[in-house]
Amino acid sequence: MIHFQNVGKVFTNGNEQIKALNDIDLKVNKGEIYGVIGFSGAGKSTLIRCVNHLERSTAGKMIVDGHDLSTLTVKEIREVKKNIGMIFQHFNLLNSKTVYANVAMPLILNKMPKDEIKQRVYELLEFVGLSDKANVHPEQLSGGQKQRVGIARALATKPSILLCDEATSALDPQTTSSILELLRKINKEYNITILMITHEMSVIREICDRVAVMEAGEIIEEGTVFDVFSRPKTQTARNFVNTVMHDQIPESIIKMIESNNGSQNVFRINFIGQSAGQPLLSQLAKKFAIDVNVLFGNITELQGIPFGNLIVELQGSEAEVNRALEYLETKEIDFNEVIPHAS
Amino acid sequence: MLVNSDQIVQALIETLQMVSISFICSILLGLPLGIALLVTRQGQILENKSVFTVLNFIINIFRSIPFIILLVAIIPLTRLIVGTSIGTSAAIVPMVFYAGPYIARLVESSLLEIDEGVFEAANAMGATPTQTIFRFLLPEALSSLVVNFTIATIGLIGASAMAGTVGGGGIGDLAITYGYQRFDTVTMMITVVMLIIMVQGLQSIGNFLSKKIRRK
Repeated sequence: MIHFQNVGKVFTNGNEQIKALNDIDLKVNKGEIYGVIGFSGAGKSTLIRCVNHLERSTAGKMIVDGHDLSTLTVKEIREVKKNIGMIFQHFNLLNSKTVYANVAMPLILNKMPKDEIKQRVYELLEFVGLSDKANVHPEQLSGGQKQRVGIARALATKPSILLCDEATSALDPQTTSSILELLRKINKEYNITILMITHEMSVIREICDRVAVMEAGEIIEEGTVFDVFSRPKTQTARNFVNTVMHDQIPESIIKMIESNNGSQNVFRINFIGQSAGQPLLSQLAKKFAIDVNVLFGNITELQGIPFGNLIVELQGSEAEVNRALEYLETKEIDFNEVIPHAS
Repeated sequence: MLVNSDQIVQALIETLQMVSISFICSILLGLPLGIALLVTRQGQILENKSVFTVLNFIINIFRSIPFIILLVAIIPLTRLIVGTSIGTSAAIVPMVFYAGPYIARLVESSLLEIDEGVFEAANAMGATPTQTIFRFLLPEALSSLVVNFTIATIGLIGASAMAGTVGGGGIGDLAITYGYQRFDTVTMMITVVMLIIMVQGLQSIGNFLSKKIRRK
């Protein structure tokens, strides 16, 4: 559906050249929700803008819905754009026009007959839950309502692709989840392919099927949301995962361990999928002469699969602890020793 | 007082004629020029460096000539267009050449105030340049345009008074020929008060319209 083939983008400012995208290879399949995450300046805005030709790539091929954008005429590109809806962080609505006129705009540009426009606009407003706001101006709406107008506008021409440019970054958490809910509904009901960029890992966790992590104009990691969350390969990805999966042991607990006994048999046990269902800790305590002290934990669900980790302290003789660890290995449990930062 | 009320009314009508006709002509000249200045800028929808540079240069030339000099300097052109260099219609020509480029600058600045996101939305929707201008830019800038047109109209009232010095008629003519040259203080005061009332009235109307558009 959307295929970046070694896409590069260089901005030229006088004699200075800024490389915004470097050799991007990325494929978004039809009907999928694909998330791109990165810090500001990573190039993700440029990336998403290449898809609807708001930015022209300077290297590689940008293929959208089978069209190589670089081979199309200006007119043909306009037609491609009409098949791509886009929503923005700051909504980009026309303040001089009513909600109705904002949503109708893409249809007016397409010279659709007035009565058909009317029918379509009310249908869209109904879908986003703003039927009663048709004659209101955007400045009288809340952020979430503005984004709903933006979504209705983006869907007006029945596009097959929806681009979301930090669509929830200006919204509070509650509004964010209602907008994400709406995006998921759009994806399911209309089978629209969604490409979104964000700096919020919670957004990725909430609705994306696959995710790419961007840094310095490159994609440094890519995979299903589950894979990236459970086994992040790069430090940047780990940092993002940590923003929603707090696996850092709180300071107070570290202090407590240090002051209590000084034994540092602290481990992180990762639960992925089925292993989360096993009564692992009680087995350890029963089979070996050790006590298991749960210090911290975080279990959640990712794409319908339970996932998380527990930070536990194993108290007992070194021999028993080692035996317990061997047992964990035989069970193919993923664990690693946590070294408190003090030592 | 050396003038009668008929003369004052006549002068008022002449001023209103000069201002309104030259205002309309200036808009017809300045609005497209202002839009052209914006859309041919670097990174804009119809980016064109040479067109922008030429327009920018020509507008700057007209903007740098004081009206009183422009009035005299383009007399041959005025004669060519309206057939005479004296009277109300002759005053309109330099007024348009004065206010047109001025309005072009004001339009440009109104359009520059538009949020970048509006351009982006239009572009993402696949709007043509014409659609972008008429469906997005002008409606979004309308409130600011009204404020700026008010400023331009007030400038034209001032210009119309100056045109009086070369026999253009109107309130300015009255003030010069009676108030200044014949030391008629009362007439001078009356013309000043009339100008003040006109400017105040216009500014109020402009503010009201702009506010109304914004609130809509």
